[in-house]
Amino acid sequence: MTGRERADRRRALVYIAPTVLALGVLTVYPGIWVLWLSLQRRIPIFEVSRFAGFENYAFLAVDARFWSAGKTTAVFTLGSVALEIALGVAVALAINTQRRGRRLALSLLLLAWAMPAVVAAKLFEWLYHPSAGLVNVLLGWPINWLGDPAVALPAVIFADVWRTMPFVAVLCYARLLSIPADVYEAAQVDGAGRFATLTRITLPLLGRILLLAILFRSLDALRAFDIMFVLTGGGPAGTTETLTVYAYRALFQTLQLGFGSAVSVVVFVLVMTVAWAYLRLLRAGAVTA
Amino acid sequence: MSVALRRARPVLALALVLALCGCGAGQERGPVTLVFKYARILGNADPLPELLRTFEAAHPGVRVKGEALPWTSDDQHQFYIINLEGRSPGFDLMMLDCIWVPEFARAGWLLDLTPHLQPGELAPFFPSAVASATYGERVWALPWNFNVGLLYYRADLLAKYGLRPPETYEELIDQVRRIRAGERDLRLDGYVWQGKQYEGLVVNVLEALWANGARVLGEDGAIFPEPQRAADALRFLRSLIESGVSPAWTTAADEELSRRAFGDGHAIFLRNWPYAMDLFEGKDSAVRGKVAFAALPGRAHGEPGAGSTGGAHLGVSRRSRHPDLALALARHLTSEAAQRAIALGAALSPTRQSLYRDPELMRGHPAMPRLQALALAGRPRPVTPYYLLLSSTLQPEFSAVIVGVKPAERAVADAGARLRYFLEAIR
Repeated sequence: MTGRERADRRRALVYIAPTVLALGVLTVYPGIWVLWLSLQRRIPIFEVSRFAGFENYAFLAVDARFWSAGKTTAVFTLGSVALEIALGVAVALAINTQRRGRRLALSLLLLAWAMPAVVAAKLFEWLYHPSAGLVNVLLGWPINWLGDPAVALPAVIFADVWRTMPFVAVLCYARLLSIPADVYEAAQVDGAGRFATLTRITLPLLGRILLLAILFRSLDALRAFDIMFVLTGGGPAGTTETLTVYAYRALFQTLQLGFGSAVSVVVFVLVMTVAWAYLRLLRAGAVTA
Repeated sequence: MSVALRRARPVLALALVLALCGCGAGQERGPVTLVFKYARILGNADPLPELLRTFEAAHPGVRVKGEALPWTSDDQHQFYIINLEGRSPGFDLMMLDCIWVPEFARAGWLLDLTPHLQPGELAPFFPSAVASATYGERVWALPWNFNVGLLYYRADLLAKYGLRPPETYEELIDQVRRIRAGERDLRLDGYVWQGKQYEGLVVNVLEALWANGARVLGEDGAIFPEPQRAADALRFLRSLIESGVSPAWTTAADEELSRRAFGDGHAIFLRNWPYAMDLFEGKDSAVRGKVAFAALPGRAHGEPGAGSTGGAHLGVSRRSRHPDLALALARHLTSEAAQRAIALGAALSPTRQSLYRDPELMRGHPAMPRLQALALAGRPRPVTPYYLLLSSTLQPEFSAVIVGVKPAERAVADAGARLRYFLEAIR
């Protein structure tokens, strides 16, 4: 290493120091604190504070409500991300083939995306109204959307898909615009039909951006809170209660900081694992692509 | 990394609040400012600004700042606990849902009003309202407005079939069958109530438990001291939906959803709070002049029905730097004149019994004396500092029975086991 390189390296350290410091103060320190809290029984307003070891985690291991929340989180994440990706790609392709009104279509899409989740949830509360809701009026059949344990979670997933699908669509559309026209012309010359063009050219070229979209959307879906909190409050029978809703109830509604932190730590580990797995996939993709 | 950041949000938020509050308490000279936290009152006219001005006029040099709380009860509770736990709340007088009083009192956030009260000062209020403002034999708040669960019924329909308001649920079911058979209206539901998974469901289930001689919390702190009767009451609520006496969407119904269905003329019976009466009597109401209310039914061979009581209290923050003025403001707002103004301007019922025979109020609300009788018979929800823990644990279990995915006995047993685990840490 030359002196110049060493100087560069020192300067680099100075440049990244603020970021490292900020992350340390805002992320690492609270993270460790939450981990420490999760090993305690701590309810400050009742002056309960004692070390409990893994008691909270042992309770979670046999806690039916926790496992149900875990399952709900998994179903919600898989269902909403799969639908968002499928619909997002379809919408992006549709807009791309459109000759006129592209801007209008994009603005309308972004309108849904720009809407706060709470507002979207309130909107869907009206759409799902058992007798006066637009959905049931159109169907002509009274479905108990938010009160039937079999359909409440799909109803919540649909509301989430409606709101966040545009994000995927816009990402994909941007990528479609950057695919050079000569690729398609070459395919046409080679006699590729519409279907072959889609599966052999368009979708593979969308691959990386889709992986990114899946990463973002999965991490968001794993931490989903507002849409079900407003729409169903976690009901009926706890079928729409995700892990973050469960953590919220423990932390903020009943101020059980120890127990609630244990739930949060589980969510944290879950999110980190998924993020790590995706990032590995992305890196592997970077080598081959 | 933002992931980790979000995970740490609770602690961060608390830390931020603590940090901000540490430097927020400035020294003010001259005029005193009292901060009053309250939820905006719905109704044709909000009487509160005017009431705050009259207090200022009577106390020169005092300015009252009314600050609105978040919209939902959950958010209000969260706002209070974060700010009060942060030790420098920045408000003097607060509107409290009656179920929070024991919790806040035990946490040491409320000023003990007992030594400041005149003898007999609370005698004009409903005893059950005073009871819910009392914890450990000390008074922590002044009752401000009052709520009690009622059975609304379509007086026109009952009269048409020669029926009297039902005293038991068994009679109610029979009346629903007869009226629906006679009306042949497919859109006419029988009995609508609140079955969504939220606080309102707990209230509805409590009323069903009481009617069946069961409780959630015994006097000695035992959880579900009558488990068989509790399970039986839950099963009964489920059977209302299964038999079609209550519509399937009851499992998603909150106060407003059920109130609208009844208000549109699509139900014979409704369980709701007193606020609904004004709306049913409104100018363009479909059921204007056709609605009356009675006590909630009991069970055949059981106890008479009792509505759950609720309402808001006014408590003084223990960190207030002007506790005497804050208490004076609480007295002003709970005075007879103020409660009359609130009852006239907004659909909130007074906590002072004399107002239920007040000529001015009775002109607009002829059923006031009847409401008083039912309010007197009402029962409070369990008065305990752990009420929110109790309610948030019970909600999914009760809901699971109501929607029919869990046997009632198991729900009662599971809820009991969970509560015992959480409470053992506190008690």
